[in-house]
Amino acid sequence: MTKMSTARHTETGDPHVVEWLTGLFSAACVIAMIAWMGVQAIGQRDEAPDLSVSVVRQEARSGGYQVEFEIGNAARATAAQVLVRGELVDGDAVVEAVETTLDYVPMQSKASGGLIFRHDPAGLAVRIAAVGYADP
Amino acid sequence: MAASGKDFDHRRFAVGLARGLAGALLFALPMFLTMEMWELGFYIDRARLFLLLLVNVPLLVLLAHRIGFERTTTLREAIRDASIAYFLGMVCSGLILLAIGVLRSDQSLNEIVGMIAIQSVPASIGALLGRSQLGGPAVGDEADEDEGAEAEAETSYAGELFMMAVGALFLCLNVAPTEEMILLSYKMTPWHAIAVIVASIVLMHGFVYALSFMGGHVVEEGTPGWHALVRFTLPGYLIALAISLYCLWTFHRLDGIAMTQVMMTVVVLSLPGAIGAAAARLIL
Repeated sequence: MTKMSTARHTETGDPHVVEWLTGLFSAACVIAMIAWMGVQAIGQRDEAPDLSVSVVRQEARSGGYQVEFEIGNAARATAAQVLVRGELVDGDAVVEAVETTLDYVPMQSKASGGLIFRHDPAGLAVRIAAVGYADP
Repeated sequence: MAASGKDFDHRRFAVGLARGLAGALLFALPMFLTMEMWELGFYIDRARLFLLLLVNVPLLVLLAHRIGFERTTTLREAIRDASIAYFLGMVCSGLILLAIGVLRSDQSLNEIVGMIAIQSVPASIGALLGRSQLGGPAVGDEADEDEGAEAEAETSYAGELFMMAVGALFLCLNVAPTEEMILLSYKMTPWHAIAVIVASIVLMHGFVYALSFMGGHVVEEGTPGWHALVRFTLPGYLIALAISLYCLWTFHRLDGIAMTQVMMTVVVLSLPGAIGAAAARLIL
Protein backbone atom coordinates (compact mmCIF):
# COMPACT_ATOMS: atom_id res chain seq x y z
CA MET A 1 0.00 0.00 0.00
CA THR A 2 1.09 3.55 -0.65
CA LYS A 3 -0.18 6.46 1.40
CA MET A 4 -0.83 9.47 -0.78
CA SER A 5 -0.86 13.01 0.54
CA THR A 6 -0.88 16.18 -1.53
CA ALA A 7 2.78 16.20 -2.54
CA ARG A 8 4.67 13.08 -1.50
CA HIS A 9 3.73 9.45 -1.35
CA THR A 10 5.01 7.33 1.49
CA GLU A 11 5.58 3.63 0.98
CA THR A 12 4.32 1.69 3.98
CA GLY A 13 7.01 -0.03 6.04
CA ASP A 14 4.77 -3.03 6.64
CA PRO A 15 3.81 -4.36 3.22
CA HIS A 16 1.62 -7.33 2.39
CA VAL A 17 3.36 -10.58 1.50
CA VAL A 18 1.98 -10.33 -2.07
CA GLU A 19 4.14 -7.26 -2.62
CA TRP A 20 7.24 -9.22 -1.65
CA LEU A 21 6.29 -12.21 -3.81
CA THR A 22 5.69 -9.93 -6.80
CA GLY A 23 8.97 -8.19 -6.12
CA LEU A 24 10.96 -11.41 -5.85
CA PHE A 25 9.35 -12.83 -9.00
CA SER A 26 10.23 -9.64 -10.88
CA ALA A 27 13.79 -9.70 -9.58
CA ALA A 28 14.17 -13.32 -10.72
CA CYS A 29 12.86 -12.47 -14.21
CA VAL A 30 15.12 -9.44 -14.60
CA ILE A 31 18.17 -11.37 -13.40
CA ALA A 32 17.35 -14.25 -15.75
CA MET A 33 17.10 -11.83 -18.66
CA ILE A 34 20.41 -10.18 -17.83
CA ALA A 35 22.02 -13.63 -17.48
CA TRP A 36 20.66 -14.68 -20.90
CA MET A 37 22.04 -11.51 -22.45
CA GLY A 38 25.35 -12.13 -20.70
CA VAL A 39 25.60 -15.63 -22.17
CA GLN A 40 24.83 -14.20 -25.63
CA ALA A 41 27.35 -11.41 -25.12
CA ILE A 42 30.16 -13.79 -24.23
CA GLY A 43 29.29 -16.12 -27.12
CA GLN A 44 30.70 -15.55 -30.58
CA ARG A 45 29.04 -12.93 -32.76
CA ASP A 46 29.36 -13.35 -36.51
CA GLU A 47 30.86 -10.66 -38.64
CA ALA A 48 28.54 -11.16 -41.61
CA PRO A 49 25.02 -12.48 -42.16
CA ASP A 50 24.42 -15.91 -43.72
CA LEU A 51 21.44 -15.63 -46.06
CA SER A 52 19.53 -18.43 -47.75
CA VAL A 53 16.38 -18.18 -49.86
CA SER A 54 13.65 -20.76 -50.37
CA VAL A 55 10.55 -20.54 -52.54
CA VAL A 56 7.36 -20.91 -50.52
CA ARG A 57 4.65 -20.73 -53.18
CA GLN A 58 4.04 -19.63 -56.72
CA GLU A 59 0.72 -18.77 -58.28
CA ALA A 60 -0.88 -16.74 -61.04
CA ARG A 61 -2.23 -13.37 -59.92
CA SER A 62 -3.75 -10.49 -61.82
CA GLY A 63 -0.41 -8.68 -62.07
CA GLY A 64 1.51 -11.70 -63.32
CA TYR A 65 3.01 -14.83 -61.81
CA GLN A 66 3.81 -14.28 -58.16
CA VAL A 67 6.58 -16.25 -56.47
CA GLU A 68 6.66 -15.93 -52.70
CA PHE A 69 9.95 -16.61 -50.97
CA GLU A 70 11.29 -16.83 -47.45
CA ILE A 71 14.77 -15.69 -46.60
CA GLY A 72 16.57 -16.99 -43.52
CA ASN A 73 19.61 -15.59 -41.79
CA ALA A 74 21.50 -18.31 -39.93
CA ALA A 75 24.28 -16.06 -38.66
CA ARG A 76 24.27 -13.89 -35.56
CA ALA A 77 24.52 -10.66 -37.53
CA THR A 78 21.64 -8.69 -39.01
CA ALA A 79 21.43 -7.79 -42.70
CA ALA A 80 19.71 -4.60 -43.84
CA GLN A 81 18.45 -3.59 -47.31
CA VAL A 82 18.74 -7.13 -48.58
CA LEU A 83 18.53 -7.15 -52.37
CA VAL A 84 16.82 -10.30 -53.65
CA ARG A 85 17.08 -11.15 -57.34
CA GLY A 86 14.90 -13.72 -59.07
CA GLU A 87 15.51 -15.19 -62.52
CA LEU A 88 13.50 -17.43 -64.82
CA VAL A 89 16.02 -19.65 -66.59
CA ASP A 90 15.52 -21.74 -69.72
CA GLY A 91 18.66 -23.84 -70.08
CA ASP A 92 21.45 -21.24 -70.00
CA ALA A 93 19.32 -18.33 -71.14
CA VAL A 94 17.77 -15.95 -68.62
CA VAL A 95 14.18 -15.36 -69.74
CA GLU A 96 13.28 -12.74 -67.15
CA ALA A 97 14.92 -11.16 -64.08
CA VAL A 98 13.20 -9.17 -61.31
CA GLU A 99 14.43 -7.69 -58.04
CA THR A 100 13.06 -6.61 -54.68
CA THR A 101 14.59 -5.21 -51.50
CA LEU A 102 13.80 -6.35 -47.96
CA ASP A 103 14.36 -3.81 -45.18
CA TYR A 104 15.85 -6.24 -42.67
CA VAL A 105 16.66 -9.89 -42.19
CA PRO A 106 17.52 -9.99 -38.46
CA MET A 107 20.03 -12.44 -37.02
CA GLN A 108 18.85 -16.05 -36.76
CA SER A 109 15.46 -14.95 -38.07
CA LYS A 110 13.32 -15.08 -41.19
CA ALA A 111 11.76 -12.51 -43.47
CA SER A 112 9.56 -13.02 -46.51
CA GLY A 113 8.56 -11.29 -49.70
CA GLY A 114 7.44 -11.90 -53.25
CA LEU A 115 8.63 -11.47 -56.83
CA ILE A 116 6.28 -10.94 -59.74
CA PHE A 117 7.21 -12.37 -63.17
CA ARG A 118 5.45 -11.61 -66.43
CA HIS A 119 6.30 -15.04 -67.89
CA ASP A 120 4.75 -18.22 -66.58
CA PRO A 121 7.43 -20.00 -64.51
CA ALA A 122 5.93 -23.40 -65.45
CA GLY A 123 8.51 -25.39 -67.39
CA LEU A 124 11.27 -22.92 -66.49
CA ALA A 125 13.73 -22.98 -63.58
CA VAL A 126 13.18 -20.30 -60.90
CA ARG A 127 16.42 -19.04 -59.34
CA ILE A 128 16.07 -16.70 -56.37
CA ALA A 129 19.06 -15.50 -54.34
CA ALA A 130 20.13 -12.62 -52.12
CA VAL A 131 22.67 -10.61 -54.09
CA GLY A 132 23.52 -7.84 -51.67
CA TYR A 133 22.93 -6.30 -48.23
CA ALA A 134 24.04 -3.47 -45.99
CA ASP A 135 25.08 -3.61 -42.34
CA PRO A 136 22.39 -1.95 -40.23
CA MET B 1 -24.15 15.09 -13.98
CA ALA B 2 -26.28 14.28 -16.96
CA ALA B 3 -28.69 12.06 -15.07
CA SER B 4 -30.39 14.68 -12.97
CA GLY B 5 -31.30 16.93 -15.92
CA LYS B 6 -32.53 19.83 -13.81
CA ASP B 7 -29.18 20.96 -12.34
CA PHE B 8 -27.20 19.93 -15.42
CA ASP B 9 -24.43 22.48 -16.02
CA HIS B 10 -23.96 22.75 -19.78
CA ARG B 11 -20.92 24.96 -19.51
CA ARG B 12 -19.13 22.60 -17.18
CA PHE B 13 -19.90 19.63 -19.40
CA ALA B 14 -18.67 21.48 -22.50
CA VAL B 15 -15.45 22.49 -20.75
CA GLY B 16 -14.92 18.85 -19.76
CA LEU B 17 -15.33 17.71 -23.36
CA ALA B 18 -13.01 20.44 -24.62
CA ARG B 19 -10.39 19.42 -22.08
CA GLY B 20 -10.71 15.84 -23.27
CA LEU B 21 -10.16 16.89 -26.87
CA ALA B 22 -7.21 19.06 -25.83
CA GLY B 23 -5.72 16.12 -23.94
CA ALA B 24 -6.17 13.77 -26.87
CA LEU B 25 -4.47 16.30 -29.12
CA LEU B 26 -1.61 17.02 -26.75
CA PHE B 27 -0.80 13.43 -25.83
CA ALA B 28 -1.41 11.76 -29.19
CA LEU B 29 -0.10 14.38 -31.60
CA PRO B 30 3.32 12.69 -31.98
CA MET B 31 1.48 9.54 -33.10
CA PHE B 32 -0.81 11.39 -35.50
CA LEU B 33 2.33 12.69 -37.19
CA THR B 34 4.13 9.32 -37.39
CA MET B 35 4.23 7.72 -40.83
CA GLU B 36 4.41 4.18 -39.45
CA MET B 37 1.15 4.70 -37.56
CA TRP B 38 -0.68 5.61 -40.79
CA GLU B 39 0.75 2.58 -42.55
CA LEU B 40 -0.09 0.28 -39.66
CA GLY B 41 -3.67 1.47 -40.02
CA PHE B 42 -4.01 -0.54 -43.21
CA TYR B 43 -1.57 -3.40 -42.85
CA ILE B 44 -1.96 -4.33 -39.17
CA ASP B 45 -3.46 -7.77 -38.70
CA ARG B 46 -7.13 -7.18 -37.97
CA ALA B 47 -7.16 -9.70 -35.11
CA ARG B 48 -4.34 -7.81 -33.38
CA LEU B 49 -6.05 -4.46 -33.92
CA PHE B 50 -9.30 -5.90 -32.56
CA LEU B 51 -7.46 -7.15 -29.46
CA LEU B 52 -5.82 -3.74 -28.93
CA LEU B 53 -9.20 -2.01 -29.20
CA LEU B 54 -10.70 -4.46 -26.70
CA VAL B 55 -7.81 -4.18 -24.24
CA ASN B 56 -8.26 -0.41 -24.29
CA VAL B 57 -11.80 -0.70 -22.87
CA PRO B 58 -11.06 -2.03 -19.35
CA LEU B 59 -7.95 0.14 -19.30
CA LEU B 60 -10.00 3.28 -19.90
CA VAL B 61 -12.64 2.24 -17.40
CA LEU B 62 -10.06 1.65 -14.66
CA LEU B 63 -8.28 4.87 -15.55
CA ALA B 64 -11.56 6.78 -15.57
CA HIS B 65 -12.38 5.36 -12.19
CA ARG B 66 -9.21 7.00 -10.88
CA ILE B 67 -8.86 10.22 -12.80
CA GLY B 68 -11.87 10.55 -15.12
CA PHE B 69 -13.83 13.51 -16.43
CA GLU B 70 -15.77 13.66 -13.22
CA ARG B 71 -14.97 12.34 -9.80
CA THR B 72 -16.46 8.92 -10.41
CA THR B 73 -17.72 6.79 -7.61
CA THR B 74 -19.63 4.07 -9.38
CA LEU B 75 -18.66 1.66 -12.11
CA ARG B 76 -21.45 3.06 -14.26
CA GLU B 77 -19.95 6.54 -14.13
CA ALA B 78 -16.51 5.19 -14.94
CA ILE B 79 -17.89 3.35 -17.97
CA ARG B 80 -19.67 6.53 -19.07
CA ASP B 81 -16.45 8.56 -18.83
CA ALA B 82 -14.43 5.87 -20.58
CA SER B 83 -16.94 5.82 -23.45
CA ILE B 84 -16.76 9.60 -23.81
CA ALA B 85 -12.95 9.48 -23.81
CA TYR B 86 -12.89 6.71 -26.44
CA PHE B 87 -15.32 8.69 -28.59
CA LEU B 88 -13.29 11.90 -28.21
CA GLY B 89 -10.18 9.92 -29.16
CA MET B 90 -11.90 8.74 -32.34
CA VAL B 91 -13.17 12.22 -33.20
CA CYS B 92 -9.76 13.76 -32.59
CA SER B 93 -7.98 11.07 -34.67
CA GLY B 94 -10.40 11.50 -37.55
CA LEU B 95 -10.20 15.29 -37.57
CA ILE B 96 -6.40 15.48 -37.33
CA LEU B 97 -5.79 12.77 -39.94
CA LEU B 98 -8.23 14.55 -42.22
CA ALA B 99 -6.58 17.92 -41.59
CA ILE B 100 -3.06 16.69 -42.39
CA GLY B 101 -4.24 15.03 -45.59
CA VAL B 102 -3.60 11.44 -44.52
CA LEU B 103 -7.26 10.48 -44.84
CA ARG B 104 -8.59 10.93 -48.35
CA SER B 105 -12.01 10.25 -49.79
CA ASP B 106 -10.65 7.78 -52.37
CA GLN B 107 -9.38 5.39 -49.71
CA SER B 108 -11.29 2.23 -48.93
CA LEU B 109 -13.48 2.25 -45.85
CA ASN B 110 -11.37 -0.53 -44.37
CA GLU B 111 -8.26 1.65 -44.53
CA ILE B 112 -9.95 4.72 -43.10
CA VAL B 113 -11.48 2.84 -40.19
CA GLY B 114 -8.18 1.06 -39.49
CA MET B 115 -6.23 4.31 -39.40
CA ILE B 116 -8.69 6.03 -37.09
CA ALA B 117 -9.05 2.96 -34.87
CA ILE B 118 -5.34 2.51 -34.22
CA GLN B 119 -4.87 6.21 -33.43
CA SER B 120 -7.93 6.33 -31.21
CA VAL B 121 -6.26 4.12 -28.58
CA PRO B 122 -3.51 6.58 -27.53
CA ALA B 123 -5.85 9.51 -28.20
CA SER B 124 -8.49 8.14 -25.84
CA ILE B 125 -5.92 7.68 -23.06
CA GLY B 126 -4.83 11.25 -23.77
CA ALA B 127 -8.42 12.44 -23.52
CA LEU B 128 -8.73 10.95 -20.04
CA LEU B 129 -5.35 12.28 -18.94
CA GLY B 130 -6.28 15.68 -20.36
CA ARG B 131 -9.10 15.95 -17.88
CA SER B 132 -6.92 15.13 -14.92
CA GLN B 133 -3.67 16.83 -15.93
CA LEU B 134 -4.89 19.89 -17.82
CA GLY B 135 -7.98 20.38 -15.72
CA GLY B 136 -7.88 22.78 -12.85
CA PRO B 137 -10.81 22.61 -10.51
CA ALA B 138 -13.94 22.03 -12.54
CA VAL B 139 -15.95 25.16 -13.16
CA GLY B 140 -18.32 25.80 -10.25
CA ASP B 141 -16.89 22.86 -8.34
CA GLU B 142 -13.90 24.43 -6.58
CA ALA B 143 -14.85 23.59 -3.04
CA ASP B 144 -15.28 19.93 -3.81
CA GLU B 145 -11.93 19.64 -5.60
CA ASP B 146 -10.03 21.36 -2.81
CA GLU B 147 -11.54 19.09 -0.28
CA GLY B 148 -10.44 16.09 -2.30
CA ALA B 149 -6.88 17.33 -2.58
CA GLU B 150 -6.50 17.79 1.14
CA ALA B 151 -7.67 14.34 2.02
CA GLU B 152 -5.15 11.55 2.26
CA ALA B 153 -5.81 8.93 -0.36
CA GLU B 154 -4.47 5.43 -0.33
CA THR B 155 -3.39 3.68 -3.49
CA SER B 156 -3.47 -0.07 -3.39
CA TYR B 157 -0.45 -2.04 -4.57
CA ALA B 158 -2.40 -3.21 -7.61
CA GLY B 159 -3.33 0.41 -8.26
CA GLU B 160 0.34 1.42 -8.29
CA LEU B 161 1.17 -1.38 -10.72
CA PHE B 162 -1.79 -0.43 -12.92
CA MET B 163 -0.65 3.19 -13.06
CA MET B 164 2.81 2.02 -14.08
CA ALA B 165 1.28 -0.11 -16.83
CA VAL B 166 -0.67 2.88 -18.17
CA GLY B 167 2.44 5.07 -18.16
CA ALA B 168 4.52 2.39 -19.86
CA LEU B 169 1.81 1.73 -22.46
CA PHE B 170 1.55 5.39 -23.26
CA LEU B 171 5.24 5.93 -23.97
CA CYS B 172 5.56 2.54 -25.69
CA LEU B 173 2.69 3.33 -28.06
CA ASN B 174 4.48 6.57 -28.92
CA VAL B 175 7.68 4.95 -30.12
CA ALA B 176 6.91 1.26 -30.76
CA PRO B 177 5.66 1.81 -34.33
CA THR B 178 8.82 3.62 -35.42
CA GLU B 179 11.54 1.82 -37.32
CA GLU B 180 14.19 3.23 -35.00
CA MET B 181 13.26 0.75 -32.27
CA ILE B 182 14.11 -2.31 -34.33
CA LEU B 183 17.05 -0.62 -36.05
CA LEU B 184 18.61 0.23 -32.66
CA SER B 185 18.21 -3.34 -31.48
CA TYR B 186 19.96 -4.59 -34.65
CA LYS B 187 22.86 -2.22 -34.09
CA MET B 188 23.24 -3.14 -30.44
CA THR B 189 25.32 -5.96 -29.01
CA PRO B 190 24.07 -7.91 -25.97
CA TRP B 191 26.47 -5.81 -23.87
CA HIS B 192 24.58 -2.70 -24.89
CA ALA B 193 21.33 -4.43 -23.98
CA ILE B 194 22.60 -5.22 -20.48
CA ALA B 195 23.67 -1.60 -20.05
CA VAL B 196 20.21 -0.42 -21.17
CA ILE B 197 18.49 -2.77 -18.71
CA VAL B 198 20.56 -1.46 -15.81
CA ALA B 199 20.09 2.14 -16.93
CA SER B 200 16.31 1.67 -17.20
CA ILE B 201 16.05 0.33 -13.66
CA VAL B 202 18.30 3.05 -12.20
CA LEU B 203 16.38 5.79 -14.02
CA MET B 204 13.05 4.37 -12.95
CA HIS B 205 14.06 4.17 -9.30
CA GLY B 206 15.74 7.57 -9.40
CA PHE B 207 12.73 9.29 -10.95
CA VAL B 208 10.41 8.14 -8.22
CA TYR B 209 12.56 8.04 -5.09
CA ALA B 210 15.71 10.12 -5.50
CA LEU B 211 14.94 13.27 -7.44
CA SER B 212 12.34 14.69 -5.04
CA PHE B 213 9.95 15.58 -7.84
CA MET B 214 6.52 16.71 -6.80
CA GLY B 215 4.50 13.55 -6.31
CA GLY B 216 7.67 11.59 -5.66
CA HIS B 217 7.65 8.74 -3.21
CA VAL B 218 9.56 8.28 0.03
CA VAL B 219 10.10 5.10 1.96
CA GLU B 220 8.74 5.08 5.53
CA GLU B 221 11.49 5.79 8.04
CA GLY B 222 13.46 2.81 9.22
CA THR B 223 12.84 0.79 6.05
CA PRO B 224 15.93 -0.05 3.98
CA GLY B 225 15.98 1.58 0.54
CA TRP B 226 16.18 -1.67 -1.37
CA HIS B 227 12.70 -2.63 -0.14
CA ALA B 228 11.16 -0.12 -2.54
CA LEU B 229 13.45 -1.35 -5.32
CA VAL B 230 12.21 -4.93 -4.97
CA ARG B 231 8.57 -4.14 -4.20
CA PHE B 232 7.94 -1.36 -6.71
CA THR B 233 10.72 -0.63 -9.18
CA LEU B 234 11.49 -4.19 -10.34
CA PRO B 235 7.82 -5.17 -10.78
CA GLY B 236 7.39 -1.87 -12.59
CA TYR B 237 10.24 -2.73 -14.92
CA LEU B 238 8.79 -6.18 -15.54
CA ILE B 239 5.49 -4.49 -16.44
CA ALA B 240 7.35 -2.16 -18.82
CA LEU B 241 8.95 -5.21 -20.46
CA ALA B 242 5.59 -6.95 -20.83
CA ILE B 243 3.92 -3.84 -22.27
CA SER B 244 6.83 -3.40 -24.72
CA LEU B 245 6.49 -7.00 -25.83
CA TYR B 246 2.76 -6.55 -26.35
CA CYS B 247 3.17 -3.30 -28.33
CA LEU B 248 5.90 -4.73 -30.57
CA TRP B 249 3.85 -7.86 -31.22
CA THR B 250 0.76 -5.77 -32.03
CA PHE B 251 2.75 -3.68 -34.51
CA HIS B 252 4.25 -6.73 -36.29
CA ARG B 253 7.76 -5.94 -35.15
CA LEU B 254 8.47 -9.44 -33.84
CA ASP B 255 7.16 -11.65 -36.68
CA GLY B 256 9.71 -14.32 -37.57
CA ILE B 257 12.35 -12.88 -35.23
CA ALA B 258 14.62 -15.05 -33.08
CA MET B 259 14.29 -14.98 -29.29
CA THR B 260 17.50 -13.10 -28.47
CA GLN B 261 16.68 -10.43 -31.03
CA VAL B 262 13.14 -10.15 -29.64
CA MET B 263 14.55 -9.62 -26.15
CA MET B 264 16.93 -6.92 -27.38
CA THR B 265 14.11 -5.04 -29.13
CA VAL B 266 11.92 -5.35 -26.04
CA VAL B 267 14.77 -4.02 -23.89
CA VAL B 268 15.21 -1.01 -26.19
CA LEU B 269 11.51 -0.17 -26.07
CA SER B 270 11.42 -0.73 -22.31
CA LEU B 271 13.71 2.25 -21.74
CA PRO B 272 10.96 4.75 -22.65
CA GLY B 273 8.45 2.30 -21.16
CA ALA B 274 10.21 2.35 -17.78
CA ILE B 275 10.44 6.13 -17.77
CA GLY B 276 6.73 6.30 -18.65
CA ALA B 277 5.93 3.94 -15.78
CA ALA B 278 7.97 6.01 -13.34
CA ALA B 279 6.43 9.26 -14.58
CA ALA B 280 2.94 7.80 -14.14
CA ARG B 281 3.67 7.14 -10.47
CA LEU B 282 4.62 10.78 -10.06
CA ILE B 283 1.82 12.32 -12.08
CA LEU B 284 -1.28 10.17 -11.72
